[in-house]
Amino acid sequence: MLERVKEIIEEQLNIEDVEITEETRFKEDLDADSLDLFELVDAFQEEYGVEIPPEDLEQITTVGAIIKYLQDKGVDA
Amino acid sequence: MKTRITEILGIEYPIIQGGMAWVAEHNLAAAVSEAGGLGIIGAGGAPAEFVREQIQKVKEVTDKPFGVNIMLMNPEADAIAQVVADEGVKVVTTGAGNPSKYMQQWKEAGVKVIPVVASVAMAKLMQRGGADAVVAEGMESGGHIGSLTTMALVPQVVDAVDIPVIAAGGIADGRGLAAAFMLGAEAVQLGTRFVAATESIVHENYKAMLIKAKDIDSTVTGTTTGHPVRSIRNKMTKEYLKLEKEGADFMELEKLTLGSLRKAVMEGDVVNGTVMAGQIAGLVKKEQPCKEIIAEIMEQGMALLGRTF
Repeated sequence: MLERVKEIIEEQLNIEDVEITEETRFKEDLDADSLDLFELVDAFQEEYGVEIPPEDLEQITTVGAIIKYLQDKGVDA
Repeated sequence: MKTRITEILGIEYPIIQGGMAWVAEHNLAAAVSEAGGLGIIGAGGAPAEFVREQIQKVKEVTDKPFGVNIMLMNPEADAIAQVVADEGVKVVTTGAGNPSKYMQQWKEAGVKVIPVVASVAMAKLMQRGGADAVVAEGMESGGHIGSLTTMALVPQVVDAVDIPVIAAGGIADGRGLAAAFMLGAEAVQLGTRFVAATESIVHENYKAMLIKAKDIDSTVTGTTTGHPVRSIRNKMTKEYLKLEKEGADFMELEKLTLGSLRKAVMEGDVVNGTVMAGQIAGLVKKEQPCKEIIAEIMEQGMALLGRTF
């Protein structure tokens, strides 16, 4: 799952050759601003068919957090 | 004229006054609401008790609906959210972030929630979070801006959400209203034109500078900090842009703009202060009462839309 999540992040934020691990933080490490985060959430929803309400955004701060969030919502990977 | 927005908000005309910090205080908000639009108190960086006083002053003047704009980065945003619910304010617009943590509290108090959005993804997210409408605001606006233009943003947001969309940015007359409706908007939000209203309390220097401004007189500072702001070019913007070019850090730039909007609006220092205004400032030629502004926009807009509405 990390691989596909990484691809989505790279595509949405237009970055390549940046090391992305579960510890990577969107804002601090990848320079994502709030609009970038909305794009990311939108892309994850489309990819995994999971509804992510805006109130859950605060907990999604790292790559590991989005993976855990998706898994908790029943995404199989 | 009826649209989903006029129905939801209980207003006569689909014209909303922007929630401009310092500028959008009780006199202006009351005048716009009394004229049949939706007046808004801009909470900006103000403390919660100040916002409560402003709300009560509007209520003394008009029984018509009005709103409060909450800048979510305000350290007192939580308290202001509560004040709005306690005081029975009908409408909240939000800027600078994600208002979802207040959504339940406001819904329970019967407050209509209208976030300002700068992208399609943000609009979709807000709809999912229970927003009643969104303001799609283009970078023609004065003050804090996004990067898309109104012309590009509005139709894309309209296609992406089912809730009604209010267009903002670069609109100051009936032509702007008609154009926004053609893009699918169901109301418009105007800031700059209302800054020049008779009821607006901005310093006469601010008003004079706005009325004098031409099409090219605004500029954008703060792109390097990630918080771009549109204002009229002056000594402050010149210095700011020079520092930005030299790669100045955030703190150094902050020093230039700390309290600078207040300086321009209240003290009339339009040289060192921030004179926020939109690109449409060149179209604003005179000071007029809110009632006259709204009547003019509606008359011109309806004539243009006559064939379709």
